[in-house]
Amino acid sequence: MSLSTNTGSVGTPLLPPKGVSARVLGGIAEDATLSAPGVFLIILAFILPIGQMLLLSIEGASGGLTTEHFTRFLGDSYYLGIVWRTLRLSLLITVIAAVIGFPLAYVMAHVGPRLRLWLIILVILPLMTSVVVRTFGWMVLLGRGGLIPFTLWKLGLVNRNFTLMQTESAIVIGMVQVLLPFMTLSVLGVVMKIDRRLEEAARTMGASFTATLRTVVLPLAMPGIVAGSLLVFTLSVSSFITPSLLGGVRLPVVAGSIYEAATKTLEWNFAAAQSVILLVGVFLVLLPYLKLTGRRHG
Amino acid sequence: MVKAVPTSVRIATFLFVVLTLVFVLAPLVVVAGVSVSESQFIAFPPNGFSLRWYSAILTSGAYLGAAWTSLKLAVLVTLCATVIGAGAAITLHRRRLPGTVLLAGLFLSPLILPTIIFAIGLLMLWSATFGPVSFTALWIGHTVVALPYVVRTTLAVLAESDPFLEEAAATMGARRWQRLLYVVLPQCLPGLAAGAFFAFNISFDEAVVALFLRTPDLVTLPIQIYNQLEFSPDPSVAAVSTLMIGVTILLILVIDRLLGIQRFTGA
Repeated sequence: MSLSTNTGSVGTPLLPPKGVSARVLGGIAEDATLSAPGVFLIILAFILPIGQMLLLSIEGASGGLTTEHFTRFLGDSYYLGIVWRTLRLSLLITVIAAVIGFPLAYVMAHVGPRLRLWLIILVILPLMTSVVVRTFGWMVLLGRGGLIPFTLWKLGLVNRNFTLMQTESAIVIGMVQVLLPFMTLSVLGVVMKIDRRLEEAARTMGASFTATLRTVVLPLAMPGIVAGSLLVFTLSVSSFITPSLLGGVRLPVVAGSIYEAATKTLEWNFAAAQSVILLVGVFLVLLPYLKLTGRRHG
Repeated sequence: MVKAVPTSVRIATFLFVVLTLVFVLAPLVVVAGVSVSESQFIAFPPNGFSLRWYSAILTSGAYLGAAWTSLKLAVLVTLCATVIGAGAAITLHRRRLPGTVLLAGLFLSPLILPTIIFAIGLLMLWSATFGPVSFTALWIGHTVVALPYVVRTTLAVLAESDPFLEEAAATMGARRWQRLLYVVLPQCLPGLAAGAFFAFNISFDEAVVALFLRTPDLVTLPIQIYNQLEFSPDPSVAAVSTLMIGVTILLILVIDRLLGIQRFTGA
């Protein structure tokens, strides 16, 4: 889903130089009242918690300010290994999602509206299903004696006790499934707007199907692919339920490490510091995403 | 002469789409398959056919308790998110308030920021302010997560609405509250309805905030499933999961029937 909003600039001039009409002021008062509950909720229940987290990340044991939680994380090769695994897997997940998502979106854009609707529903179904439910499905499919290891064993490729559970492959497979809709819809939104005549022109001029795809459609779809990739990447680095259930304790990722520190070992300052590191990383990736989608939707 | 798309490409495309759909849907089909298994153990393909795991969950206090918590939570979250989101969306659409762009960013920010970061912040702030987490904390947390969806679906509907209707009503002498109640709100309704179903689905399925705020007395259905998965799952987990998939499918179809799902997917 794209994160666009329909707001442009403020339509009504704020304060006309003279004689502010009661009507304008009344309108502002009405809208202020309408949006007040939302503003309160977001500030008290969203901004404030994040502020609290930022505060805890630099709070020392005796109450003073400290950077020890950050240096503990960044100075430990164990945690750096977790960061490296998270980044590596997220990149792989993003690339696979793009490789599947682009052709899928292209096909969806070219079929009839009815079929397209059904494809959209089928693709977003896993997205709307609870993360624990779909992860459970993968546990059954990938575990010892599950359908996939069993098939591989029957084909003589692996031994009988083979399992894909607790491997990085399991994490990648499970994550690609749920993040694919973000990529597909992101690309579909752009591909639908490409002028069909451009493709026809290229074909008329003698370009083959694949050449048209490569030199006309792909470059024009790039904004969608890039936006989708940035979105998939940020969602991927901040996931922990699927990675922890499919990867197990031996393959922790950053978000899983935050969860451990916050709820199991109860080191809140350390958990907060890790969250800040994740937040900064996500922001670095999201800024170009917001720029990109902001421009696209004017 | 335009060369036709080669048959090999057509066949490959067809296979690709089918395989992708299999990949995307397989885990859900497998869950449904396991749920009707006769055997004690989780196995796919299932051994035999029985509904014993469905009757097992209907007599399990843990599952029924979690289901009640989830249902209560989802209804309350839907109510709050829809009411608050309606006001927010109308304001954003009118663009009369100074700083509308900032306001839009504020309302949609829970969608952009990773939920885990919000969840841990909420846990820390709630514990520091009120002590142990409670149902109310989860209610507030889910409302924040669901709010942007209501705002977005309502904005999408308002963008297509006739901007002159409210002006016409004003010219005809309708007061502010009358215009809001009889002109603007009815225009929002399809978007609000879609947003409400999204909100219900999000709260009912959400696991990240619920996991951070989990206490022995505060277990939603997804968390109950998660607990089982961490230890020793039996096919009853599959039965609950299948019912949850059923709820999701129902909600998607309702949203699509009411308004067309395509309008809200950005495509």
